[in-house]
Amino acid sequence: MTLTRRTFLAASAAAIGAAALATSGCASPATASPGRLTLWYATRGLSEAVLRDAVARFPAARLDPAAVGDGLKHRLLAVMSGGAYLPDMTMLGDDVASYFPDADQFVDLNTLGAARLAGQYLPWKWQSGITSDGVMIGFPIDIGPSALYYRHDLFAKAGFPSEPDDVARAVPTWDDYFRFGQELQRALPGHYLITDTKTVFTYSMAQLPVKYFDRQNRYLPDQSHVREAWDRALRAFRLGLTAGYAGSQDPGTSVDRHAAWNTGKELSFVNASWVTGELKESAPGTAGAWRVCRTPGGAGNQGGSYLAIMRACPRPQAAFEVISWMLSPENQPRTYLDAGLFPSSPAAFADPRLLEPEPFFGGQVTMDVFARSASEVKPAYFSPWDINISDAFTDELSNVELAGKDPDLAWTDARTAVERLLQRKGVI
Amino acid sequence: MSLLDAPGATVVTAESAAPPRQGRRGRYLPYYLAISPFFLIFGVFWLYPLGYSFFVALQRWDGIGPMHFVGLENFRFLATDATFWHSILNTLLIWVMSVVPMTVLAMLIAIGLNSTIRFTGLYRIAYFVPNVTSTVAMSLVFASIFSGQFGILNWVLGLFGVDPVPWLTNPWGIRTAIAVMIIWRWVGYNAIIFLAGLQAIPDEVHEAARIDGAGPVQTFFRVTLPLLRPVLLFSVLMSAISGMQVFAESQVLVGNRGGPEEAGLTMVLYFYNQAFYYNDFGYGAAIAWGIFLVVVIFAILNWRLIQRPERRRAGEVAP
Repeated sequence: MTLTRRTFLAASAAAIGAAALATSGCASPATASPGRLTLWYATRGLSEAVLRDAVARFPAARLDPAAVGDGLKHRLLAVMSGGAYLPDMTMLGDDVASYFPDADQFVDLNTLGAARLAGQYLPWKWQSGITSDGVMIGFPIDIGPSALYYRHDLFAKAGFPSEPDDVARAVPTWDDYFRFGQELQRALPGHYLITDTKTVFTYSMAQLPVKYFDRQNRYLPDQSHVREAWDRALRAFRLGLTAGYAGSQDPGTSVDRHAAWNTGKELSFVNASWVTGELKESAPGTAGAWRVCRTPGGAGNQGGSYLAIMRACPRPQAAFEVISWMLSPENQPRTYLDAGLFPSSPAAFADPRLLEPEPFFGGQVTMDVFARSASEVKPAYFSPWDINISDAFTDELSNVELAGKDPDLAWTDARTAVERLLQRKGVI
Repeated sequence: MSLLDAPGATVVTAESAAPPRQGRRGRYLPYYLAISPFFLIFGVFWLYPLGYSFFVALQRWDGIGPMHFVGLENFRFLATDATFWHSILNTLLIWVMSVVPMTVLAMLIAIGLNSTIRFTGLYRIAYFVPNVTSTVAMSLVFASIFSGQFGILNWVLGLFGVDPVPWLTNPWGIRTAIAVMIIWRWVGYNAIIFLAGLQAIPDEVHEAARIDGAGPVQTFFRVTLPLLRPVLLFSVLMSAISGMQVFAESQVLVGNRGGPEEAGLTMVLYFYNQAFYYNDFGYGAAIAWGIFLVVVIFAILNWRLIQRPERRRAGEVAP
């Protein structure tokens, strides 16, 4: 058939008509690939090896894992608001609480028998995936226990305590750590012991049993603990302990911080366990020089993720079987070794494979430090707005640290920003 | 007269007029069909989202759950939102900081390209490549260049005895870094456009200027530049359009929050931040409408700028 204008027009009209019929005639499928169980996860958010095994182990479930990359949240929001092409299961980040107001979009894992597994996981982590109404939407994947990372060689060279236990004993609180830092800076001028004010604030808040809201989502009338964390961050800055590297929390843009690891300019820093991979990758030359010990001020958690089952999933029980197997205490050590995801199940801490001495840390068994930190984290309630609020405070701290803003004005501005935000959200 | 007034006559005229009208409609149908894809796509992908975004702007909505109607609350908040006003200021500052040096540079490159004899194609491609490079990849490279402690730029400055500048932590440093990125990306594109403009100027004009005794500088400012006026206006207009939309440069260089003092927070980044980072779609939509208003004002200014010379010329002729 030759393509004339007439046949072309007729064909396009027919195509448009058919498309219109198709879109109006039958609705879009609720899940991404009907008949299969789609699982969305972020790159390196789950162990590929465990996923492969899960596909083979549950042939009836017809599991279809899809690495969505860094844009998982955006895609998830798009399909959730559209109510079509939803995954059957999805990974949720440490902003799991921001999905709490829409918990009805997820399957309550307690209805699938999750409760009987509760004892196998860290209680604070388990609880953080449950809304204040008791609906469990997130099954624990990994956590981010904090530690103090420090340069053993440089500490020793300056004649300071350098073995993990000795350092931990020397700096039980933040104030001790600041004093220690000042003395160390006198021996090694031009070096820093804290990445930025944001670190101090974030990890101070992570050590507390309360954040900004109570479990009934009421804004706490007493926010003095926030002020304490704020003042502590400012004190670190005033004492000249913070390096103030731009974008230090953004992997990829933290050029200065990576360089400081290599040159030894950053003597020590507080961070969650997930930074280890980044540290090894960006400062391979410092292998053997690092150690970790207990965080000044106590254990805290930063980050971690969850798996959830969507309400649209037609076979939630099968999905739950897959999830609970993949994240079982038996599989968590593999996930840690394969993808660096720290176990959320304390049983995994005793796995001999995780208790090997690590050459990068000069033969130290870092699991000892992180496992203790993980077990000591205080349960706390995260509201859907916590990340917004925390950002408002750390933004203003950065303004003081990097742009020379008046601290009092910065505090007032941060408080105003938080109050305005909560008013807009209809919370207060 | 009486015949026309008769009812029968009216019927006749109506009957005789009707068939051709229908026929005309049928005759035009293919044309309407042919242009319909644009309007269909415009309707589905432009008009509908436009209307829907206004509807969303009246709600409190996290993008997933039920919407709560809040009326103009989001707009009231927007008007008193210092961060939004700050983001407008940032956008305009970055635009001015990028468009002025860029135009001058592009003009210089265009003149240079216009007078080269060999490898012209190669140069043109080389200058155009930055424009098609991924912004995100570029931003990562620029982050290394502008890095405060260990950046290449500060190292070079150090060679000349200049103290390191905290580019990515100082508000003006951030804006400069973003402006430099925009310049790097668009200077080649504009140079190519200027080059086309330069080549469209007939040689006779330059020759006449030379015969009249004008030097190269005088020729440029008195002859070439006025003749390039439409091309220049086009380039400024285009840069204004892209300047209002600066987003990826800031996001990758200083993060979602715009860096210290939110110096890198442009309007679109603020919109993205609220809607897609904090799931506040209602307020995000309100910001989008705020941006729309700013762009409309800007478009009117631009339009007046282009119209003015016409009026002046008309005024000159009148007396």
